Amino acid sequence: MNAPVLVEFKDVEKRFGDTVAVEAMDLQIRKGEFLAIMGSSGCGKTTTLRMLAGLEQPSAGQILLDGKRVDTLRPEERDTPLVWQSLALFPFLSVVENVEFGLKMRGVDKVARRERAMDWLGRLDIAEFASRSVDQLSGGQRQRVALARALVTTPEILLLDEPLSALDANLVVRMQGVLSKLQKDLGITFVYVTHSQSEAFAMADRIVVMSNGRVEQIGTPEEIYREPATRFVAEFIGTNNIVSGSVTSVDDRHTTIQGDGVTLTATNGSTALRVGASATAVVSADSVRLNAAPSDAVNQANQIVGTLVSEAFVGSVVTLLLETPAGEFRVQTRQRDLAQINLEHGAKIALSFTPEDVFLLPDTREGG
Amino acid sequence: MSDRSRASDSAISTWFLRLYVLVVFAFVFAPIIASFVFSFNSDRFPTIPLGSFTTKWYETIFADTDVWDAFARSLTVAAITAVISTTIGFCTAYTDFRYRFRGKGFYLGLALLPPTVPLVIMGLAMLALLSRINMSGQVYSIVISHVVLCSPFAMAICRLRLSQMDPSLEAAAWNLGASQWQAMKTVIIPFCKPAIIAALCLTAAVSFDEFAVAWFVSGLNKTIPVMILEILQGNVDPQINAIGSFVFAISISLVVVAQILVMTRDDKGRKS
Repeated sequence: MNAPVLVEFKDVEKRFGDTVAVEAMDLQIRKGEFLAIMGSSGCGKTTTLRMLAGLEQPSAGQILLDGKRVDTLRPEERDTPLVWQSLALFPFLSVVENVEFGLKMRGVDKVARRERAMDWLGRLDIAEFASRSVDQLSGGQRQRVALARALVTTPEILLLDEPLSALDANLVVRMQGVLSKLQKDLGITFVYVTHSQSEAFAMADRIVVMSNGRVEQIGTPEEIYREPATRFVAEFIGTNNIVSGSVTSVDDRHTTIQGDGVTLTATNGSTALRVGASATAVVSADSVRLNAAPSDAVNQANQIVGTLVSEAFVGSVVTLLLETPAGEFRVQTRQRDLAQINLEHGAKIALSFTPEDVFLLPDTREGG
Repeated sequence: MSDRSRASDSAISTWFLRLYVLVVFAFVFAPIIASFVFSFNSDRFPTIPLGSFTTKWYETIFADTDVWDAFARSLTVAAITAVISTTIGFCTAYTDFRYRFRGKGFYLGLALLPPTVPLVIMGLAMLALLSRINMSGQVYSIVISHVVLCSPFAMAICRLRLSQMDPSLEAAAWNLGASQWQAMKTVIIPFCKPAIIAALCLTAAVSFDEFAVAWFVSGLNKTIPVMILEILQGNVDPQINAIGSFVFAISISLVVVAQILVMTRDDKGRKS
């Protein structure tokens, strides 16, 4: 966990004219970790990656790689290969020539570089396509060529810019497996930019969530999921239920907040809240229990009665959408746990959760 | 209306359309075909009915050293012009592709301007300028003028090709350790190769055919088109038909090669 730092962003800022793409970025990337940078489009994640590769110059701040300043170096002077969103394979070269490219530029002789390129094609199970032209390959195979081309120089770090965005869903899952295994086998650092939570959560050791050029949170997938640092992060993780309210009571173990017609009690977290302060409660969709509501069920602490609006089955997991006084609530559960519950639209269902499953965020929007 | 009459209606319009296309092509190519046919006709004047088949006119021009000189000069000028104007055109197109700068619209407008100037005006202006600096009447005067005329065509072709390129391709080369020059040599030029060859062919064809500007600046160094006009001014000679057919064959092959290379656009770079 506490591996040495490989890359360090020190107060990095990037402006394009008047627009700020990245600001006040302090980020440490450790040796051998799989770091995902996640955010919606235009949040600055790709700019961050491009600055690391030297394709953009920071407007202010420093970037260090292995303790040495790299932000002043030209792209070809750093060993930070990138797997492009478009893959950017050279269409006029064969598969093996594409893979050899990096070695050729480094002056490795013909025999040695062919051997190393073939070795990488073999490791990625595409040796049989070596002499093919790139456009004769399928999407997944091209992906592997791009990986081999980037890894052939055995770099310490590999940058990936949404490399799976063009693949269909099945292939994405398979390539995630390939990437995870590759990263573990090689033990090198992967920096993976994506807008997809499922990709980030499936592969990353740590996730950086960005919004509007700023880092919202850095943490393990577990932390991002269970303890979002800001309301933005909580909302970005699409499976969270969010209730705004104000603190009504605080004791040494629990904090209670009152929202629109609902009361939620949470176990105290690291941030102490005062009575009267506004706060946001986050309840993840998979920690909500369902009970068919008896006709006299009422809203009480950590129980909300909702009306079923829709349900969606994905394999064995069901996502229910309910209308409650506190807005829409999303509940994820296993299909077999729904046996005794009436799933007719409009049915009343009581939702409950333990104080441990309620995560409270101080509301910074009103304070600052 | 019954289905049958509707079907026959569309059959009629299809035939009409085919006929129309045929007439248009006939109209365009008839003079060239006529010139080609008469170049093998034994009669002194182009009249119908035709006389007998002969290769006499071709023999005459092949025996004429003036024709050979002009022909060699035209080829030399075309070759040099093609190389220089393609180089300039490619560099201009790459500048446009790679850089964003102030006054870029003006720069592009200026680069594409020459073909919009009427050829007679261009020839006159070239003569005025070149004679003032004592550079008119030489073979290189024709080359200079033709480069001005041809570069925009080369630029347009290279620009089209570059617009089909995934812009990350060049950055990918840098990312893999290529310097700017290496990336140019190993990525940009190979990607643009079809366009570069097409530009060479097309600019050579334009230069080889060009008459008006060459007539002004060539002095005694006549190119083939200039020579054809001079023969015509003297008398009506079926040699013209022979030379014309010959020149046409060369130009059209250059243009066809260029066209084939431009049309074989692949979106490989963009897609992958």
